[in-house]
Amino acid sequence: MKKYFLIAKSAWDEIVIYRLNFSLWRIRQIFLLLTSYFLWLAVLPPKTMLGGYSQAMILTYILGGAVISSLIFSNRSFQIGDDIESGDLSNYLLRPLNYFRYYFAKDIGDKLMNACFAAVEITILFLILKPPFVLQNNAVFLLFFFCSVFFAIILNFFINLFVSLMAFWIDEVWPLRFLLTILLTFFAGGLFPLNLLPSSLFSVFQLLPVTYLLYFPMKIYLGQVTAVALFWGFATTILWIFILERSCQFVWKKGMKVYSASGR
Amino acid sequence: MAIISVSHLSKQYKTYQKEPGFFGSIKSLVARKYQTIQAVKDVSFDITEGELIGFIGPNGAGKTTTLKMLSGLLYPSSGKVQVLGYTPFERKKQFLKQISLVMGQKNQLWWDLPPMETFLLNKEIYEVSQEQFDQTLRDLVELLDIADILKVQVRKLSLGQRMKCELVAALLHNPKVLFLDEPTIGLDVVMQKKLREFIKAYNEKYKATIILTSHYMGDVEALCKRVIIINHGTILFDGLLSHLVKKFAPYKLISVVFRETPDQKKIEKLEGEIKEFQSGQLLLRVSQAKANETIANLLKSFSIADITIEDPDIEDIIRDVFVKANE
Repeated sequence: MKKYFLIAKSAWDEIVIYRLNFSLWRIRQIFLLLTSYFLWLAVLPPKTMLGGYSQAMILTYILGGAVISSLIFSNRSFQIGDDIESGDLSNYLLRPLNYFRYYFAKDIGDKLMNACFAAVEITILFLILKPPFVLQNNAVFLLFFFCSVFFAIILNFFINLFVSLMAFWIDEVWPLRFLLTILLTFFAGGLFPLNLLPSSLFSVFQLLPVTYLLYFPMKIYLGQVTAVALFWGFATTILWIFILERSCQFVWKKGMKVYSASGR
Repeated sequence: MAIISVSHLSKQYKTYQKEPGFFGSIKSLVARKYQTIQAVKDVSFDITEGELIGFIGPNGAGKTTTLKMLSGLLYPSSGKVQVLGYTPFERKKQFLKQISLVMGQKNQLWWDLPPMETFLLNKEIYEVSQEQFDQTLRDLVELLDIADILKVQVRKLSLGQRMKCELVAALLHNPKVLFLDEPTIGLDVVMQKKLREFIKAYNEKYKATIILTSHYMGDVEALCKRVIIINHGTILFDGLLSHLVKKFAPYKLISVVFRETPDQKKIEKLEGEIKEFQSGQLLLRVSQAKANETIANLLKSFSIADITIEDPDIEDIIRDVFVKANE
């Protein structure tokens, strides 16, 4: 256990060393947040409703989504592609260490740091903007909310891992990751609740993993889910985690056979 | 019992070629020309416990590829490898806990953090007891003289300092089998010597089996009784270093300083090959069998100020081996 703590801590240390990088990243996140916040403030005046959302609800969705997305999306797996391309992966393979768990531990370190900063930033924004906000005080919804965030973290880990492992076959994996980031920013529901999409499109989305990264947890927080929807939501999430985990293992095994440990 | 046993091991790589320039890039995007490179070809050898083997070969000979297969990094295209009774590529935990691969070119140290952080992580990964960790670390730090850099960020260290820390990180778990790929690269002469002594001591103290590759013949001469010479992926020679001399260079070098410059014709009549003859000095290459006779002959026929008999340089012999192999 202690080794995973040390690994997570190394992610913090790296953040401290690259503090300018990290600060710029946080600033980017704040701008993204403010953009969608003011957009929604303008689109939805008080006492109007859109697709079942009041202004307070949509702003809660956007602000709350910003906090949990720092927790869910921040990760270090961009380094996996580099490891494979540069041959640094060998360092991990030579040690009795599970590479997936290594990066998961690193991700957790990164997430905690990001979440701390996001919490501070959003508290400050709250004090300045004083937005209308829905406070969920139903313990059951809160419990399911935390569960769904936990699953979303695991789901996101395997999605990123899967894409990064393509580096075994592609020399440069960052364009793929860039595409993934853009797709996730848009389709995970960080900018708008996904049920505002045309219903036919939304029903397709409900089968895809992206829906369960951000939209699903925030819907639970807002208390806008039925018991049936909760069940199917969690079932789909767990199924996707299973599929992606198996796929990652499969790709890893295949990848190891073509791995050339180059550069060493 | 063989700690390492390799039989008929081969490895092919597939790489693609790209013609230079922009149009070359476009072309390689559409139709890629693949090329198969045979890095290691039907290699077999056995190594017993406690042996310290020198692995010699020019760049691209397949040394590193072989080491990578022995340590489980690469999947062999064909053939069998057994190390400590394990198949390396399966990378079983028990196997990994008993080996180490040190590469002169790359590091396992966390680049952005001080080396001590990596040491502590390795302690946990390899499940080394606090006692053993403290002891080993103290020994290694003292030996390699790195006490003052343990808390300096790795990226700020010099190549030599980094190499020393690499070695510490690789040895903290006292591996039974050690693969050293160019361990003395980038080190100054004093440090090279120290490191050699260290490797030798490690080998003796822990009965560790060590395979070492190096470009510096000095390393190999000082450390290894047995050498394996590899070129273009195949083994050219596997045996004792002393046998290498007998097999590939069965001659002695006789260098003579004359009191007065003798007649060229008289010199040419001598047995052996004249490597150099000028201003009263002669360098003669004579087969081992005829060496004594030639020396006697020299002493009898000429007035000699100084005479020395030497074995040929290992470095020269190996160069000859490669040149011959390439012809």
